[in-house]
Amino acid sequence: MKRLLIICILFMSCQKDWLDRKPRTIISDEQVWNDPKQIVALLANFYDRLPTETGLVDVSDAADGRLAQWRNMANYDDAMWSGQSNEDGRNNITSYNYNSWYLWNYTLIRDINLSLENIELYGKDLTAAQKQQFSAELRFVRAFNYFELVKRMGGVPLVTKQLVYDYSGNVTDLQQPRAKESEVYDFIASEVDAIKDNLGNDGSVSRANKYTALALKSRAMLYAGSIAKYNNLMAAPITTPGGEVGIPASMANGYYQKALDASREIINSGVYSLYKNNPDPGENFFETIAKKASNKEVIFVKDYLLPTRKHWFSYDNIARGIREDNLGSSSVVPSLNLVESYEYLDGTNGTLKIRTADNSDFIYYDNVADIFANKDARLYGTVIYPGTTFKGLQVSIQAGVMAWNSSRNAYDVVEGSDLGTTYTDGKLLTGTSGPHRSIQEVSNTGFYLKKYIDPNDKTSTRGIQSDMWWIWFRLGEIYLNAGEAAFELGQTGDALTYINALRERAGFGVNSLTILTIDRIRNERRVELAFEDQRLWDLKRWRMADKVWNGNASGADAMVYALYPYRVVRPGDAAHDGKYVFVKMVAPRFRAPRFFQLGNYYTSIDQSVLNNNPKIVKNPFQ
Amino acid sequence: MMKYILLIAILIAGCKKDNYEKPTSVLTGRVVYNKEALGLRSNGVQLELWQHGFELFTKIPVYVAQDGTFSASLFDGTYKLVLRQGNGPWKNNTDSLDVTVQGTTNVDVTVQPYFILKNTTFTKNTTNITAVVTVESVNTGLPLESVSLYVGNTDIVDQVNNAGSVTVVPDISAPVTLSVTSSAPFARVGVKTAGVAELVYSQVEKLQ
Repeated sequence: MKRLLIICILFMSCQKDWLDRKPRTIISDEQVWNDPKQIVALLANFYDRLPTETGLVDVSDAADGRLAQWRNMANYDDAMWSGQSNEDGRNNITSYNYNSWYLWNYTLIRDINLSLENIELYGKDLTAAQKQQFSAELRFVRAFNYFELVKRMGGVPLVTKQLVYDYSGNVTDLQQPRAKESEVYDFIASEVDAIKDNLGNDGSVSRANKYTALALKSRAMLYAGSIAKYNNLMAAPITTPGGEVGIPASMANGYYQKALDASREIINSGVYSLYKNNPDPGENFFETIAKKASNKEVIFVKDYLLPTRKHWFSYDNIARGIREDNLGSSSVVPSLNLVESYEYLDGTNGTLKIRTADNSDFIYYDNVADIFANKDARLYGTVIYPGTTFKGLQVSIQAGVMAWNSSRNAYDVVEGSDLGTTYTDGKLLTGTSGPHRSIQEVSNTGFYLKKYIDPNDKTSTRGIQSDMWWIWFRLGEIYLNAGEAAFELGQTGDALTYINALRERAGFGVNSLTILTIDRIRNERRVELAFEDQRLWDLKRWRMADKVWNGNASGADAMVYALYPYRVVRPGDAAHDGKYVFVKMVAPRFRAPRFFQLGNYYTSIDQSVLNNNPKIVKNPFQ
Repeated sequence: MMKYILLIAILIAGCKKDNYEKPTSVLTGRVVYNKEALGLRSNGVQLELWQHGFELFTKIPVYVAQDGTFSASLFDGTYKLVLRQGNGPWKNNTDSLDVTVQGTTNVDVTVQPYFILKNTTFTKNTTNITAVVTVESVNTGLPLESVSLYVGNTDIVDQVNNAGSVTVVPDISAPVTLSVTSSAPFARVGVKTAGVAELVYSQVEKLQ
């Protein structure tokens, strides 16, 4: 009887919907697309997946499309590798591979397209305003990603809807051909125009607002304009018959005008202003990047936040002598090439004065920092050079001593076998920060990186790490975009206003330039935006990369140069003893000249992509 | 001890079953114009071999040595040999060359360069190396960019590997003379066509 009762109870409890239970481990579409918090979480994922060539972290997830490799800062001519010797290949890139900078992250595009469609399909509880804002933000991320694609690959398939296979055995309608290069840029411009007023997020620097979108447009249109202009000025323009690569020269002015208009809208909005909170122009320029509080210059960043959202960039790149950990430091070090591109404040060429005019002797300096006197203050904000401090600590940079040998009437060069060594006269031989010709994790060039190094205590330790942010867009770049676009359009007066505003902040006088050339603008971009992932793309769009990085070992730009300071030991000669002299040389650990070939202007498309989609045409030189 | 012998036995046995034989056939050849091998940059110019009929369809890159020769170890079979587009200092040609590899196979690939170098002579004195060369335009379509003299300390000499160079933009109606201050033992001349990354070189010469 008892058993019967149990069976009865069991049967009764089996109600109709006993098998219809909500899963506890799966979130349904209805739940996701009606919950603003979950959509924001998803957006955070999409923002995080935007690729960059350098950045401050080291992620490479091909399936997800996430790309960021700070070490790539050492692959060009602004810097070299001085860290662990197992990465010395970066100093020995005999030529850039044709598949360098490859990106084909349609996984992200698909996820965004899916989100756009599902918000419309399922998002019944969202207000119209919420839907509009989320959709606008998703489209911004997609446009940003298409810009990353087009600047690497040329025209790519413009996929704006989910591609869903219908199991018919026929996939041809899923195979989309490449759009023209100009069509991708036009798409970016039209997307920005369509969404900029719906983005909201006023005042945010980590989520896109109206001005973030305009900044994207400003940069993208400038790229398109210069590709249209300079590609066609090449002896043999790089094009494909279908226009997947190459933009007609007639479109250049239209793009430059759009770049100028977008830049002006940001500058004239008054929402942003150039950072001028510190009266010292060098410190001020460093803070432009490093200060998160009351920084009105920054437009869009990838932010980090201690104690959990952090990165190793300061651990890996802080100057050796002031590192707070017992390992790491000094990985990416700026080159003399970059240092010399910073002009003197009187507007003269930035080449350092090392030898007398007739090249018969060194120039002797009382202090090791004197050779850098009266330089563009952006040098101080970007590079740690001999005789400067960081975090309040002196960075001791000295390669060795020049000891006068009276028997042969010349100097003997003496360098320490280790750092922080003392010469026989009881004074410094080799500084605690080198430079040293062979020791790893010591600068090989005589300079250290300052931009993006965290100035806060203990941030270069493995235990704490840094939360310095990575800058996607800042107003300084917008000024340069506006200046270049105005110059290309023949509006030199306006161009001068924009360029001079940046130079004035860097310590130059008011209206320091009266004559503008394209070379001057290009140099301004190099010095203002160093290490912000701009120079590679700039040289590509100006079609200068194959001229600058020409693979010639005796060339001026393809090799990375170093500057080694020495203390003079010449007792009894007060004019020379105790002074400092400098020697310029190819950095000892640097091996092969940078060699950018014509086939590098457009990254070759992976064979698996070509095999899967016969409508995709190859890039030239592939 | 027995355990190790067993392990080794298994490893050896395992190697037999599931590994391919390494390719034994060799394809060799030259890149020629007018039956003369072209001088090229070491590690620069690439030919592509493709083989249809297998699941993995991807190119086998074949680098051409600086004297214009190439070789590849392959399995016997039928391949298509093509020029890598825009890579070499010659006119693009998308036609493929059918190559049947059977043991040692030799094939010459004929290309159409824009410029070739003829009658290169080098002279060396105590301070300078001087080259005199005739540049001949054999295909029109792209203009001449420059002619360069490269000298080197090893017998690999080119645009990238050199110990000194001089580049001029010459009038090629007469022989071109280039001179560089150097005492390096090897030298060669290269001609650059505008819009083409690679140069056509003379063969490397050891200077006395």
